Amino acid sequence: MAISTTPLIHLSSVTKEYPLGNTTVHALRGVDLTVSKGDFMSIVGPSGSGKTTLLNIIGCIDQATSGSVVIDGQEITTMNDKQITDLRLYKIGFIFQTFNLIPVLNVIENVEFPLLLMKTFSKTEVRSRAERLIEAVGLSEHSQHRPAELSGGQRQRVAIARALVTQPAIILADEPTANLDSETGNQILELMRDLNQKEHTTFIFSTHDHNVLAYAKKIVKIKDGLITE
Amino acid sequence: MPLIFTIAWRNIFRHRGKSLVIGVILFLGAFLMTVGSGIITGLDRGLKDNIVNSFTGDLLVISSKQINNAVLTPMSGAASEPINNFIQFRSVLKQHKMIDHYVPAAQGTPMVMSDEGDPDFNFIIGVDFKQYRTMFPDKFRVLEGRQPKDGERGLLLTEFNRRTNYEYLLNYWVIPEGAKLVTANLSKEALTAYTKGTLRVKEKMVFMGMNDKTSAMDIMPPVLGIIKFKALDTFIGISNLVDIETYRECFGYTTAAESHVTLNKEQASLLTNADLSDDDLFSNETMFGSAGSSASDYSIHSVKQETARTLVVTENHLDVDAGMYNMIFIKLKSGVPLLKAVNVLNQDLKPYGVRVITWRQALGEIAELATIIKASLFIFVMFIFFVAIIIIMNTLSMAALERVSEIGMMRAVGARKGFISKMFFSETAFLSFFFGGLGILVGLITITILSWIGLSTDNDMLQLLYGGARFHPFLTMGDIVACLIQLSIVTVISTLYPMRVARQITPLHAIAKD
Repeated sequence: MAISTTPLIHLSSVTKEYPLGNTTVHALRGVDLTVSKGDFMSIVGPSGSGKTTLLNIIGCIDQATSGSVVIDGQEITTMNDKQITDLRLYKIGFIFQTFNLIPVLNVIENVEFPLLLMKTFSKTEVRSRAERLIEAVGLSEHSQHRPAELSGGQRQRVAIARALVTQPAIILADEPTANLDSETGNQILELMRDLNQKEHTTFIFSTHDHNVLAYAKKIVKIKDGLITE
Repeated sequence: MPLIFTIAWRNIFRHRGKSLVIGVILFLGAFLMTVGSGIITGLDRGLKDNIVNSFTGDLLVISSKQINNAVLTPMSGAASEPINNFIQFRSVLKQHKMIDHYVPAAQGTPMVMSDEGDPDFNFIIGVDFKQYRTMFPDKFRVLEGRQPKDGERGLLLTEFNRRTNYEYLLNYWVIPEGAKLVTANLSKEALTAYTKGTLRVKEKMVFMGMNDKTSAMDIMPPVLGIIKFKALDTFIGISNLVDIETYRECFGYTTAAESHVTLNKEQASLLTNADLSDDDLFSNETMFGSAGSSASDYSIHSVKQETARTLVVTENHLDVDAGMYNMIFIKLKSGVPLLKAVNVLNQDLKPYGVRVITWRQALGEIAELATIIKASLFIFVMFIFFVAIIIIMNTLSMAALERVSEIGMMRAVGARKGFISKMFFSETAFLSFFFGGLGILVGLITITILSWIGLSTDNDMLQLLYGGARFHPFLTMGDIVACLIQLSIVTVISTLYPMRVARQITPLHAIAKD
């Protein structure tokens, strides 16, 4: 199946400033970026370069100080909280650096969580989707375990399953392998690449890890709040 | 179980310490509120049973000219304004659909005279004993002597007044007519005197009453019995009961007997001629003789005024209601709202120059004291809840801030603010339902046990607080519902601010925290 080249994400002259004591930090200084559907993109740069800020703005977690951010044809800078929340629910999946699972829910319940928020699927459908993805990330035997009973790699896989369960158009991953050993990190990257190839899900991840860069189809370098290449 | 409830329920167990702190506060709050409600309702019932049902009735009819409503507060010493036309509106009361019973009465504070002529005061209530017993059945015990027969004249002296009169004024011990001295009932001082052989015993006491129109009248009613009220004797027991005709004689008001006067035309003309002076009338010296009145030394002005009224005498016997009263005790039918009855009766009785007041108004300071005690208790319970709200609010707010990662992540993956609010509220609601419910249940059991034990006291203040000699806290279904509503209000109020804190947590906060 041919991958559409229609821009899924388009950022134009995006700036992000925030106060820090008596000074203002210019995290992004006018970023222009276009991401197409099916991209497997890595954002790289040194610490403090603005990678996470850029990812947060794309993921509607943070708001740009100025500029335009269009996700799947919708300008998000003018949206209210409810619209942005729904956009995150239906269009974007997140894989955080520190796993961020709901501690009181077990593996399968964590994966089901976004689907249950949608309230559009039957209980059976929710369960079967979650089970399918848990199997895909190799955690079927741990489906009843709570996050505290899992290793770091296992939790990250649960986070991936949860990010994918709603079949979002975009998955954002902030340093997805930062807290994993290299073997687990590679397994996770393989899994993401598989999904990108099979489902054409757009992946954008920030990283310092050269190993991760080897998987990326596109690399965007960022330094001092500006995209350099 | 819906997702929110699942998360809320499990979070309670995950944060056991905080849950327990909040739970204990809710438990104590609900427990104190339930017990407090039980005590307040018990007070109300006690007051109702021991004052309303034993002494005052629900409402009192007094003269419109009466300035001070506290007609049953003897400390005031002032006599109430007379009602001379009770017979005119008696049928209104008799046929009124809101009234269960009524009894007309007259209160006053005559002087009690010692043998040496030293005066003190006793509070007396003049009634028809038969009517009084019908309205307030079985509310006092006759310690010595007997109950009066129907229509019999005499005094029922309270044990309280006998003792205080002996100790502070009379220096003799009063016993009922024809009765023997009961040494077991002697006060400490009287017993000492009895032991020494110096106790003086009498069967009569001298009362001296007066109204604003007559001079002092000495009466010496036979003491028929020594009585003691079954509850609140210290407060109610200051009121001796006397037959109404004796009361009227004592205070120089028109008795029913005096109202039975047949006047010829000339006499009637003289009495209704306002231009005549007392001298004009007394110079004739015919009026009282030929009228056959048993009146004592009334002022002629008073007699003219009283006699000119329409008084009714039945064919064969005297209608005691034809004379003067100054209050009518009214007991309402069950379920009739007090204030509604006041309004309706005031409307119905307006033409007769009287007005209706509640028993609380009539008791004045005594009822106010009980109300203040009740209000204090209520304020205390509300204070407990205020403190509970603050503590729960603080604990939940802290919990919200400690759960920034979890809440921020939920928001990041698509949970709306409403979801977070519901989750927080559900957690508090679960705790409130369980611990608060337990508090109400334990409170209910405590009240049941307390009521079953029935705390008793001889202390005056506690008697007033208890509404009688024994205290029976009580919870109605309405109280329990009110407790549940109050608990719900506490739950909602104490969750509002923490919910706001939680709603303001963004995914960015979670990321920043990590």
